[in-house]
Amino acid sequence: MIRHVLGIRQLEVREIEHLLELGTDFKKRIVEGRSVPEIKQKVVGMLFFENSTRTRVSFEQAAYYLGMKTANFSSAGSSMSKGETLKDTILTLRHERLDGLVMRHRMSGAATLAARFFGGPVVNAGDGQHEHPTQALGDALTILERKGRIEGLSVAIVGDVEHSRVARSNAWLLSKMGADIRFVGPRTLMPDTMTMLPGKVCHDLPTGIAGADVIICLRLQRERMLDGLFSSVGEYASMYQINRETLAFARPDCLVMHPGPINRGVELDDPAADSDQSAINAQVENGIFVRMACLYWAFGQEGMGKNFPQAIAAAKAVSKPKGKVKA
Amino acid sequence: MRILLKGGRILDPSQELDIAGSLLIENDQVVAFGPGLNDASADDVYDCHGLWITPGLVDPHVHLREPGDPHKETIATGTQAAAAGGYTTICCMPNTNPPLDSPSLVDFILDRSASPGSGGVFVAPVGALTKGMDGKQLSDLFALKRAGIVAASDEGFPIQDSMVMTKAMEFCFQLDLPIMAHCEDESLSRGGSMNEGAMSAMLGLKGIHRSAEEIAVMRNCLLSLHTRCQLHVMRVSTWGAVEMIRQAKYLDAPVTCEVSPLHFTFTEEAIGEFDTNFKALPPLRTRIDIDLLLEALNDGTIDCIASDHSPHASHEVDVPFEEAPFGSVGLESTVGVTLTRLTHTGVLSPLETVRKLSTTPARILRLEAGTLKPGETPVAQVTVIDPDLEWTLDRNKSFSKSRNTAFHGMHLKGKPVLTFCGSEIYRDALFGNHRFVEA
Repeated sequence: MIRHVLGIRQLEVREIEHLLELGTDFKKRIVEGRSVPEIKQKVVGMLFFENSTRTRVSFEQAAYYLGMKTANFSSAGSSMSKGETLKDTILTLRHERLDGLVMRHRMSGAATLAARFFGGPVVNAGDGQHEHPTQALGDALTILERKGRIEGLSVAIVGDVEHSRVARSNAWLLSKMGADIRFVGPRTLMPDTMTMLPGKVCHDLPTGIAGADVIICLRLQRERMLDGLFSSVGEYASMYQINRETLAFARPDCLVMHPGPINRGVELDDPAADSDQSAINAQVENGIFVRMACLYWAFGQEGMGKNFPQAIAAAKAVSKPKGKVKA
Repeated sequence: MRILLKGGRILDPSQELDIAGSLLIENDQVVAFGPGLNDASADDVYDCHGLWITPGLVDPHVHLREPGDPHKETIATGTQAAAAGGYTTICCMPNTNPPLDSPSLVDFILDRSASPGSGGVFVAPVGALTKGMDGKQLSDLFALKRAGIVAASDEGFPIQDSMVMTKAMEFCFQLDLPIMAHCEDESLSRGGSMNEGAMSAMLGLKGIHRSAEEIAVMRNCLLSLHTRCQLHVMRVSTWGAVEMIRQAKYLDAPVTCEVSPLHFTFTEEAIGEFDTNFKALPPLRTRIDIDLLLEALNDGTIDCIASDHSPHASHEVDVPFEEAPFGSVGLESTVGVTLTRLTHTGVLSPLETVRKLSTTPARILRLEAGTLKPGETPVAQVTVIDPDLEWTLDRNKSFSKSRNTAFHGMHLKGKPVLTFCGSEIYRDALFGNHRFVEA
């Protein structure tokens, strides 16, 4: 069975849970040095039309652990730079007999288009400002490990929500799993109408993170200043930086997360980024295991992730009302 | 040659006529119509029982893509699609390559549209308002008008500089030439690909705020009010734009406007998972906009309906949403969608429907069309519409070269079945053979 991982928005809660189970299972096996089931004889194309280091390496690692072969592409030097359309590139790769695609593209919806024309599974590694599902899955796994649950948590997503695929994927995932989402940031970096995204909007940082269990900081792109959306990095930091002072508004055990790369001194100061509350390094590591889960699931493999991990089971036991947001 | 359209419902808004009757075409001219007309000496008789007999439809806004983009559409295929859509006169837009800014290009279009391979409809060219549609220097509008343009427009490249627009309006007023304006403040819309709203926020697409349209509509209406230049606002989409036009009309500015079926049918949510067939300019808006567009159609604030036929090849449409071109083909769907969405729902009476599809666009652009009065059009322009015919739109059954339609698979009620422009130029397969008696 072929499945795509295009966005968290289209996934059902049980599918998300299954991917997190798989991720947990893979992590356990690899940390303990045990073997993992391999997806042999399969080649996955790594199509990174937009620069990426961490996501690309993470997918390479995931494919390596699963015994898959990867074929690498970048837009520079490919036929795309010779004017080939994305559809034709995808059709070509299909007939090169690639079995699956991992794709990063600067345009929202590009992975959806690829899935329409490619015969095999497509995993979205970030499409424009739309979704970055594997980042959200890695973040969710990190939260589960550190908090033991997602349901009932208060999660503040802070920063440039408008231009962030990480914000969208995380909001969908965590809200589907029963967390309470708040989007925090200046009005100029927030979409005009948020009624189709799951979360409340708050422009004031102390109010927005009050009592939060998790804070997810978003990267501030410097070109937003040039677009006139914000006056200066200094002004942003003075209003929205997560530091010791502002962290006092959140819960004392509040988890601090960031998808990276961090602008130190802007979204986060050094103490906040490096404290015990920070889960930034764990996010990176867990990214590998959920990407393994996505490849495994997308390729229709069966057998793993049957044992509900202890952390999730425990969280279920103390759970409050189920599923606040329906897909 | 005497052709009798027998026993239909004659709807002619130019004469406020809604009667049961027959219509006689002799030597390519309408010679008589009315009840009790039963010419036994007619050569061909079309049984129009249960059908509407209307003036040939007039489309003020069509992209024929020639010269420049014959892979999308040609004058031949576009005019054939027009005939099949019930149109006998269409206005073609100047955003060709090169843009329609010289008299020789006007000649080319008029020649090509009159050639035997074409659909047999009249093509009324709209000239570029500025040279190369660059928004800076006016085209040779006097020469273009003499060559045959019926209006001037920079279409999808609207003049941003208000002084240039003022001078354009002053000169067009002097020439008695209407300006058709696509209204968009590009400083607000740049880079956007859909309505700025809940859906763009969810899909992570840069939005086009409604103010981009409304500010430009307001500016152009004010300039029209002050220069007295006739302004036709193309494809309004927001309730705010409608409100600006309502105010302009109240102030007696010479302003008219059109709407396309896309905008009164679909909301931004139709885009779903990045479906580029629903990428429109202005973008598809929201439910409240549609509700108020319907109200404005009903009360007459919106003067007419334009197909905004915008053909694009499939390789141009099967791309990421932001890269896709704007627009949808519409010549063969506009009547069906209009009857389904407006007439059968009671928004427009049959007579008002025909007025918005024929008589009013002809009046706005001073075309010899939109009426059944004998002698008022160069040749008979008559369309027969079956208002109750139920059919499903199939993009593969089209005369257009392109397949980019937002209406594919839509179940519709109402279809043009016969088109006469002089002689018969289109007869639909669904116009039953038993209805036609050849002498």
